Amino acid sequence: MSLTERPPATSAPAKKLPVKQRYSLLTRDLDWEPSYVNRADLYPYTSYEGIVVHDWDGWEDPFRLTVDAYHKYQSEKDKRLYAVLDSFAQSQGHLTLSDASYLNSIKLFIQGVTPLEYAAHRHFAYLARYLEGPAPRFAALCQSIDELRHAQTQIHTISNYNKYYGGFHSWSKMHDRVWYLSVTKSLFDDAMSAGPFEFLVSISFSFEYLLTNLLFVPFMSGASFNGDMPTMSFGFSAQSDESRHMTLGLEAIKFLLEQDEANVPIIQGWIDKWFWRSYRMSALVAGMMDYMLPKPVMSWKEAFELYFEDQMLGGLFPDLAYYGITPPRHVQDAIAEKDKLSHEVYKILHNFSFAAAFTTSTPSDDHMAWLSAQYPDTFDRYYRPTWEKHRSVEAGGGRVFFQGLPQLCQVCQIPIAFTERDDPTRISFRHSEFRGETFHTCSDGCQWIFDREPEKYVQAWLPVHQIYQGNCGGPTVPDVLAWYGIQEGDNGEYAGSPDQQQWAEWHQPAKGGN
Amino acid sequence: MTEQTTLRPVGIDLQESEENRALIDAIKADNPELTVRHMPGLVKLQAAGQIVIKRETVEARLGRPWETGEFQLAIVSYAGNFSEWDDDQIIVRWKH
Amino acid sequence: MQYELRYQVIEPRRHTYQNVIDRLGDQPASRYLEGTLDVEPRENFHYRPTWAKDRELYDARYSALRLDDPYSFLDPRQFFYTPYVTSRATMHDEFGKTLAYLEERNLFGRLPDGWRALAATVVVPLRHFESGAQLVSVAGARFAHGTSIEQCCTFAAFDRIGNAQMLSRVGIALGNGGGDVLASAKLDWQHADHLQPLRQLIEEVMVLDDWAEGLLAVDAVDRLLYPLLYADLDEAALLGGAGAYSLVAQHFTAWFKDQRRWLDALVSAWRGDERHGGANAAVLDRIDTEWGPRAATAVAPLLAVVQQEVQA
Repeated sequence: MSLTERPPATSAPAKKLPVKQRYSLLTRDLDWEPSYVNRADLYPYTSYEGIVVHDWDGWEDPFRLTVDAYHKYQSEKDKRLYAVLDSFAQSQGHLTLSDASYLNSIKLFIQGVTPLEYAAHRHFAYLARYLEGPAPRFAALCQSIDELRHAQTQIHTISNYNKYYGGFHSWSKMHDRVWYLSVTKSLFDDAMSAGPFEFLVSISFSFEYLLTNLLFVPFMSGASFNGDMPTMSFGFSAQSDESRHMTLGLEAIKFLLEQDEANVPIIQGWIDKWFWRSYRMSALVAGMMDYMLPKPVMSWKEAFELYFEDQMLGGLFPDLAYYGITPPRHVQDAIAEKDKLSHEVYKILHNFSFAAAFTTSTPSDDHMAWLSAQYPDTFDRYYRPTWEKHRSVEAGGGRVFFQGLPQLCQVCQIPIAFTERDDPTRISFRHSEFRGETFHTCSDGCQWIFDREPEKYVQAWLPVHQIYQGNCGGPTVPDVLAWYGIQEGDNGEYAGSPDQQQWAEWHQPAKGGN
Repeated sequence: MTEQTTLRPVGIDLQESEENRALIDAIKADNPELTVRHMPGLVKLQAAGQIVIKRETVEARLGRPWETGEFQLAIVSYAGNFSEWDDDQIIVRWKH
Repeated sequence: MQYELRYQVIEPRRHTYQNVIDRLGDQPASRYLEGTLDVEPRENFHYRPTWAKDRELYDARYSALRLDDPYSFLDPRQFFYTPYVTSRATMHDEFGKTLAYLEERNLFGRLPDGWRALAATVVVPLRHFESGAQLVSVAGARFAHGTSIEQCCTFAAFDRIGNAQMLSRVGIALGNGGGDVLASAKLDWQHADHLQPLRQLIEEVMVLDDWAEGLLAVDAVDRLLYPLLYADLDEAALLGGAGAYSLVAQHFTAWFKDQRRWLDALVSAWRGDERHGGANAAVLDRIDTEWGPRAATAVAPLLAVVQQEVQA
């Protein structure tokens, strides 16, 4: 419109734009084709992965959240959440947990999960800058700020527990240094160091859609069953953000598959890799939900069957078959080991918790009865005998901790303690050669991942190697624990720990006479 | 869109709260085959093929104007696709 | 009647997280500090970025501007997620009320010609400048060193989209509810003479490697543009029968004031840093010398429109 033309001042009733068009004007339409710089200089990272996009406008936004609506809804959610946190703190609600030992699961959560929320916050900002389409960029920006919300609300939710219990105090430093946390740290480092499309598929799709329920429902439900109202409230509050994230993940995968046939095998490869990579990480959740909850919610096996086999293999993958996508490679291995996974992982944590920022215990008779009922094919035959051995050692005043350091898988970085698919008594152990050196992995899945990108995985900062190389504070266990930031009472056996002793004290029946 | 829609179950999980009572009633009214499961703090809705949420129905039960955008405050989780979301209705279904 | 509630007193083992204790002593700490200090990972990264092979995932070298301790800068507003969205919910709610008020009374339709021309051909096209500023700010959200700085960049990025959406809604209102004014504003952004220097500037800033330089280059424009178009025109708008312009402008003036608080504090922190202050000052001076005049050149034609349309 030139400066000389003026539309008449009108009092005609305003038209109302349809939602989709209005949203487009407020988001996509802000973008423009640059002419003073090259597009390739503005978006330098969108072709090196081999993904082809012909038309970024094909991206659909089912959640049409404008900035003002975002702020309105999110501030309302936070008001409600923080009211719960404040009230729980004020009423000393931690005294109503099922048991102090429950908090070991939350220690694992803040040490292992909270840093990943923060990592997602940082790297969705990367997508918000470097994806070429304005619509997915804006969706990524919203997700970035959502993830900051999750990281910070978790820090604040858990802040109250930190005042009274061990293991919470140095979560960020521990995520950088402690052996079991390299499992989670390396997963997100893997995604962040990859290109933008792989990050989108790995996190938005594999993590936030495919496996999200398997990863989060156990923690949140565990909270609910064990009297942890703040964590449960956080879980509910975060879930509505997660719906948007799931939608982004699903839209991302479909958009890329629809853009060009050449994308299909690349994306299939990422789905295969990231299913296994995230599944292996979820082994920590398996150990937690079967062994660390005084009041268990459901078994890992049951959760895996419901949230993965039924909902994903039964619901989502038939949908994706339309594009030529098949269920993830190695998924049968995951299904085959669902009766074993949690037991094998918890044994590692139990035997090494002298070096962890949480405590562990041998399961009680009641707990073993529950495990027996949940795992009729494996528990009594393969795992009960070992736990009973631990029990008799403990009855004599001892406690078995592994004397030495474990070999770690080069990819998932979990100690190599998983067993062969057909033989629960044989450790599953693979190796690969690269540049004249031998590297070890824990499974067919991790070996396959290593072999397709060895130049990446040989870079890993493996905690056990680093200890032996003298990079972790010194040559003795106390040196390493000090470097980890572990304090007295954080680690080892739960029975007799400061957490357990003070719990007993706080819950003593009232003394007579007053 | 007239392609054959599958009858695989779709689901929506909503927060169980005073504000969502009317919303849940409206969804029940517009989806006769809906199953509803109440859990602590959570309501799980499930139906074969699709679930429809209509603004008019919600408004009638709520007693005040309601924007489909407000649905974001209520939702906890879902299984399916948001295949439509405009001023008047939201539809969750699988695409293929 | 007043009563005193008795409860079981349990002494805490510690008052806050260890990293906060190490910095500030064992006392209760604010949510801002707990949610900001030392959150960003520092060491032992597993893989180098395939998109930046000579850097780590978090790396001070993404900018020439450095702080010895990244947390020597803290946001004077103490914004973590919750107070940020709460503050912006209020801001946007007020803007929505302003817009509704103006639309109901057809006050956009009744703007005097010159003010309407200014709004349609200068102010509304700036929605694209804000969109570009968002791209620049979000680079800081990813690449700034330390959570205290990146958090401010994150919020600034979201603010810029917020500003772009506010300007777009003004454009829709000016178009009596339709997209015409936005369409012609976009054509102006792409082709009209008076906007090309600014568009060229923001495009060149968007491709800068150093996120901090980008942020400061945009700020060089903001420091000219915001007073020019909003704060300094408020009086004239009211006296000139353009109340709608004044009412809209106040929201942008308020945002700009808030933006200054953290950005000015960051620049001070860079200049005053014990270890890097000297080197930083040289970089900051170079950025001023380079982008200050460019910003003035870009804003000059917009100033000309202001003078022609509303100050004649």
